[in-house]
Amino acid sequence: MTRSFLLAAAVLLPASVLAVLAALAWGSVHIPPADLLAVFLGEGSRLHSTLVLDLRLPRALAAFAAGGLLGLAGALMQVLLRNPLADPYVLGLSGGASVGALLAMLAGLSMVSVSAAAFAGALLSTIIVFGLAHGTGSWTPTRLLLTGVVVAAGWGAMISFILAVSPTAELPGMLYWLMGDVSHARNPYPAWGVLVLVVLLALPLGRTLNVLARGPMQAAALGVAVRPVEWGIYIAASLITATAVTQVGAVGFVGLIVPHMLRLVFGNDQRVILPASALAGGILLTLADTLARTMIAPEQLPVGVITAMLGVPVFLFLLYRSR
Amino acid sequence: MPADPLPHPGPDAPSVHERPDERTLLATRELVVDVPQRPDGAPLNLTVNPGQCWGILGPNGAGKSTLLHTLAGLRDPRAGQIEVRGRGLPAMPRAELARHLGLVFQSHHDGFPATVLETALIGRHPYLRPWDIETAEDYALARAALAEMDLSDMESRLVDTLSGGERQRLAIATVLTQNPNLLLLDEPTSQLDLHHQVAVLNRIRAIASRDRAAVLVLHDVNLAARYCDRLLLLFPDGQACWGPTPTMLVPSALERLYNQPLSVGEIDGHPVFLPRSD
Amino acid sequence: MKNLAQRVVRPARNLLLLPGLLLPLPALAAGITVSDDDEREVHLEQPAERIVSLAPHVTELLFAIGAGDRVVGATQHSDYPEEAADLPRVGGYSRIDLERVIELEPDLVIAWRSGNSTAQIERLRDLGLTVYVSEPRHFDGVASGMRRMAQLAGTRDDGEAAAAAFLDRMEALRAEYAHRPPVRVFYQVWEQPLMTVNDDHLIAQAIEVCGGENVFGHLNRLVPRMDREAVIDADPEAIIGGGMGEDRPDWVEAWEEWPDLVAVQRDNLFFVPPSLLQRHTPRIAEGTEMMCEMLETTRSRRPD
Repeated sequence: MTRSFLLAAAVLLPASVLAVLAALAWGSVHIPPADLLAVFLGEGSRLHSTLVLDLRLPRALAAFAAGGLLGLAGALMQVLLRNPLADPYVLGLSGGASVGALLAMLAGLSMVSVSAAAFAGALLSTIIVFGLAHGTGSWTPTRLLLTGVVVAAGWGAMISFILAVSPTAELPGMLYWLMGDVSHARNPYPAWGVLVLVVLLALPLGRTLNVLARGPMQAAALGVAVRPVEWGIYIAASLITATAVTQVGAVGFVGLIVPHMLRLVFGNDQRVILPASALAGGILLTLADTLARTMIAPEQLPVGVITAMLGVPVFLFLLYRSR
Repeated sequence: MPADPLPHPGPDAPSVHERPDERTLLATRELVVDVPQRPDGAPLNLTVNPGQCWGILGPNGAGKSTLLHTLAGLRDPRAGQIEVRGRGLPAMPRAELARHLGLVFQSHHDGFPATVLETALIGRHPYLRPWDIETAEDYALARAALAEMDLSDMESRLVDTLSGGERQRLAIATVLTQNPNLLLLDEPTSQLDLHHQVAVLNRIRAIASRDRAAVLVLHDVNLAARYCDRLLLLFPDGQACWGPTPTMLVPSALERLYNQPLSVGEIDGHPVFLPRSD
Repeated sequence: MKNLAQRVVRPARNLLLLPGLLLPLPALAAGITVSDDDEREVHLEQPAERIVSLAPHVTELLFAIGAGDRVVGATQHSDYPEEAADLPRVGGYSRIDLERVIELEPDLVIAWRSGNSTAQIERLRDLGLTVYVSEPRHFDGVASGMRRMAQLAGTRDDGEAAAAAFLDRMEALRAEYAHRPPVRVFYQVWEQPLMTVNDDHLIAQAIEVCGGENVFGHLNRLVPRMDREAVIDADPEAIIGGGMGEDRPDWVEAWEEWPDLVAVQRDNLFFVPPSLLQRHTPRIAEGTEMMCEMLETTRSRRPD
C-alpha cells in the first residue's frame, strides 16, 4: 500500500501543478512565456495580469476543485454501492441540482441565487432518495440504486418540461449549465475547503472502506460499524457532489472513469484510490476546461463535451482491457 | 452407545452441567434464534469454553447459519441473551467484539478485485486504528496464515481467479490472521477436497485445543463425530439438543435430524453413519 | 481580484474628487451618464473610443449611429454592415470569450440581456469594465437606445439623426397603412417547432403598423410554440414566414398542402428576411415596409 501511495503521489502531485500551470499559460489570448513569468513575479502588464490572475486563475482553481470533488465522489459512490458502474449522479443528485438551477434561471435570478438553488436542489434530491430508500427500515445498495435511478428519471422529466416551456432566450444558458460549464465559476475557495476537508476525513477511513467493500456482513464481522459508515459515505458523497455541481453544472464522466483508471494502475486500496481520485479528477477537469476554451477559440465549448469526448474512448478501452 | 429412543436436552442444560465461568468464551441464555417465517425454536443455553470444538448439525433450513450469525452479533435474536467473555453482546462495541470472535462465512463476496494477501490481511483490521498502516508483523501473520492454508504460492493472485476451495481456504486464512479466541465457521469444508478437508479440520482442532474454541457448522455427521467434542443438533421443527459428542450420536436422533434412515458402523474406534436405502 | 494598488488608490482618489463634485462644472467636462435598458446607470468620463459589441444587432446599431469606427470587437454573426464582418470576434453571443474581450481593452461593452449569459455580464462588471445592457422592446426602445448609445459613443448628433429618421419612417408607414382594412396575419418564426410571436413582440407591432392583426397576439408567451391545427383553426388571410437565413425557406410553401386555408387559396404566402424584422435595428423599417406592401397585396386579392 505504501508503495502505491508514494507512486501515486509522485505522479499525481506534479501533474496537478502542471495542469494548473497549463490552464494559466493557455487561453484564447496568446501570452508569451516571458510575459507569463513577469505576471507571476508581479511585474506583468495590467492586461496580462488581469487575464492570468483575474480570469484564468479562479477558473483553473474552480475546475480543479470541482474535478477533485467529482473524482472523490465517484470513488465513494463505487464503494458505497459496491458497483464499479456507479458515478456521483446515479442517485439523482445532478438532476435535483439541475432542476434547482433551471428554475432559478427561469425566474431570472442572479448567478449567486442560481448556485444556491442548485445546491438546494441537490440536497433535496439526497433527502428524497434517502427517505424513499429507507422506507422499510433496512436498505441495501440495490434498493438505494433503484430508488436513485427512479428519482433521477423523475428529475429528468422535470428538466425536459422546463426546457420545453422556457422562453427561447433562456435556453442557451440552461443548456450550457446542463452540459457542464466552468466559465461562470467564481469563488473557488469554498469548493477547495470542502475538498480538502473531505480528503482529510476520508484518509483514515480508507482501510475501513476496503473492508466495507467486501460486503456488509464480512465488514461487520471484522468490527466495522457498517450502518454509520455507509450513512457517512452517502452524506459526504452527496455534499461534495452538490458542491461540485453548483460550481460547474452537471459535468459527466469524471466521477465514473477516474476511479476506474486509477484502480487499473494502483490497485484497490481505498487509502490510495480516494486521494488519488481527488487529484486525478482535478487534473482531468482542469485540462478538459483548458481545451474547452481554447480548442475553437473564440468559440467556447462546454467542458462536459470535452470530458465526454475524452471519457468515452477511455471507458471503452478499460472495458476492453478488463475482458 | 446409549440407546435412548428420544433425545432430550443433554447434560449441558443449565440446571446440571457446565455453568459459565470466567474462562467461558461465549454463553447463551434462553437464546431463541430469529429464523424468518418460522415459529420460535427451543431456547438454547450453550456454554463454549476454551479447548472445546463444537459442531452444529442439522438439515438445510434448520437455521444453522442464522444461529452462527446471531452468535457473532450480526443478527438480533428473537429472545434471550448472548455473552462474550462475560459481557452482554449488544453492549460490546463491534470493533472489540471482532477481537474476541471471528466468523468465516459460507459464501464470499468480493466487490472489487484484490489479491490473496490483501484479503488475508484484512483480518488485522480489528487491531489497527484508523491512521495505522499494516506493519511488517501484520504481514508476517497474514503470510503465516496463508502458509497454514497452503496458499503461500498464490499470494499475488487476484481473488476472483481462485477456485471455490481455494477461496474457502483463503477465508479461513483471513480469520486465522484475525486470531480471535473464538472461531465461528460456517461449513468451512464444503468445497474442499478430501486432503484439504482433513488438513483444515486438524488445524482447527489444534487451535481449539489450547486456550481457544471453535464452533463449526458441518454438513457431514462423520466429520463432526471425528473432530468435534461437543455437538449441537438443530431439528427441523425447532427443537434442539446439545452435549458431549458421544451422548449426541444417537442413531434415532440423527435419523430424525436428517429424516433419513442410517446404518451405523465403527472404524478405528469412531462411529460412522451412512445413509441407508430401504 | 484587484491588486492592492487599485484597492487603495481608487477609493482615495474618489475621496479627493468629492469636493470637486460640489462645484458647478461646465456640462462638457462632467462625464456622461445614461440609463441602460436594465435601468442601471452607466457612466463614462469621456466618450467611448473602444467599444465591444456582444450582439449582432448591437453592432448594427453602433454603425447606424455613426460609431462604427469606435467598435473594436464584436460577437459572431455581426454581419451588417459589411465592414462589421472584419471586426475581431469575441465568441458567440451566448458564450463570450472573456479573454478576447479583455484583450481588446474596451472602455465600453454593450451587452444584450436576452442573448448573453447573465453570469458573463456580471463577470465583466466585476473585472471593472463599463457595461451597457441593451434590451429594446418597442420601436421607441430602439430609437431611445440609439440615442443613449450615441451619447456614450460621443456621436450624439449622428445618433439623434438616425433615431429620428427611423421614427419618422415608422410614423410614415403607420400613417399610410395602420388605418387600412385589417388583415389577419400569421407570422411564423420557425417550423420545427412551430413558433410565432405574441403582441408584445416587436414584429407584432410592425404588423400593427401595417394594419394587420396578429392572429396569435393574445397568447401569453413572447414566442409561443404551437401546433398546425391552431393555425388551420385561425385561418389567417396572410402567412408571413421569418426563419434563420436570408433565403425563403421551404416551409412557407409547405402550407400549400392545406388548400382550404384562405391564405393558400389566394396565394398570400410571403417571406421577409429575418434580419429585417427580427433584429432590433433601424432596418426594421425596411422589413416593416416590405410587410406593409405584402399586406396591401393581400387586400388587393380580396374578392370584391
